Amino acid sequence: MKLEHIIVIGAGTMGSGIAQWFAQQQCTVELVDNSSEQLQKALSSIHSSWDRLLEKQKLLPQEVTEMKQLLSVKSLEEVSANADLVIEAIIENLEIKKDLFKRLDHFFNKNTIIASNTSSFPITLMSDAVSIERQSRFVGLHFFNPATIMKLVEIIKGDKTSEELCHDLYTWFDQKDKRPALCKDSPGFIVNRVARNFYGEPLRIAESDIESRYKEIDHILKEVGGFKMGPFELMDLIGIDVNYSVTCSVWDAYANEPRFAPHSLQKKMVAENRLGRKTKRGFYTYD
Amino acid sequence: MTNVIYDNLVINFGFASKIEKKIFLKENSDKEIFMDLTCFDPAEFYAEFPQLKGSFSALFCDERKKVEVHLRAPHPLFISKLKELNYSPVETSIISLGFIFPRTIVQIINEAYFAFSENVATRADIDRAMKFGVNYPKGPFEWAKGKEKIVVTLLNELYAKTQDKRYLVSPLLNN
Repeated sequence: MKLEHIIVIGAGTMGSGIAQWFAQQQCTVELVDNSSEQLQKALSSIHSSWDRLLEKQKLLPQEVTEMKQLLSVKSLEEVSANADLVIEAIIENLEIKKDLFKRLDHFFNKNTIIASNTSSFPITLMSDAVSIERQSRFVGLHFFNPATIMKLVEIIKGDKTSEELCHDLYTWFDQKDKRPALCKDSPGFIVNRVARNFYGEPLRIAESDIESRYKEIDHILKEVGGFKMGPFELMDLIGIDVNYSVTCSVWDAYANEPRFAPHSLQKKMVAENRLGRKTKRGFYTYD
Repeated sequence: MTNVIYDNLVINFGFASKIEKKIFLKENSDKEIFMDLTCFDPAEFYAEFPQLKGSFSALFCDERKKVEVHLRAPHPLFISKLKELNYSPVETSIISLGFIFPRTIVQIINEAYFAFSENVATRADIDRAMKFGVNYPKGPFEWAKGKEKIVVTLLNELYAKTQDKRYLVSPLLNN
């Protein structure tokens, strides 16, 4: 498989991280966004990141120069139509995504792979927005934040995605600095489904809304379990609202299956604006 | 079950049914006992057996040999004996059926089995996803390897106590 020319649409945290990672793999990358201000912000942030790696002697000057040359920022109208892979990393809104895919399908040549970095929407459902000819080359590529550091890419096969394409993508990422996992197009894919109980069960163990209990549970799961972060400090970092929303989304998608049921405290905390680090109050209080 | 005995102090290791654990306690009412209760509710055992001075969970121990320990009262001798046996005790004041770490990971393992049985991904890819997507130290199937019976017992105990269907065991894990 040849993946040399990549287009990433959406210059938010995920999009810019994905663009940076591909440039680090010596791919030509065009990063696209509606907002030129957002594009410049993303470009400046990526350049700063490479400059810091240069200072730390983790990259050579020549490598940084090359990567800066490989990465450009553009509007959608300016990108080349012969890219190997286009990755969408825009807002999680199904209608907006489907409109975009329709445009991408018309714009890019027939061999271009179109991928979505969605964490919430079925790939098969989104593939309805592209032509029948394109559907076999429409796939989910779910990166994890920060995309330059986290090794996993979930490769999600929609009902119409070619198996050969998934296999080739798996091999390509496996040969690079990533650990791919192939998964079926089902709610939460792998991680957002299997990880739900890392949050849900400690909430039930805690029983009461007392900070010292959260601290103790975090401590045990780090010390005994070997987890890098405890569930409560992690939920505070992610955002209680974000975590609650993902939980509800998976719970809804599985027809209110009890294994995914949110805890009443999550809802209460969102209502009280106890959203974690960003509001300085979550399971813990931050000064 | 394996017992390590120091005079009047007995440390009871290993997996056994609730009945076997209780029979052992009944037969040793004159000793100070510390028991691995990974799959059970320490509170239930404490209420029934005053000679049970504390409980611990070692059934999911990895090479680091960190053990979650709950003591009814401080007991430096037991802690020092555990250390002599090359365990690293980590004390908790929270009494929970299945302790904290086992109860959390059996739920993660159970979900991984559900996902695998629904052909969401291979076991290897599920393990890989959890290790490299959210930095878990092990994948759910790596944790479960050889410990399926323990996982099922704990989930069944949780279901029996709470009647909450979130603890129903994946049919694949049950087989």
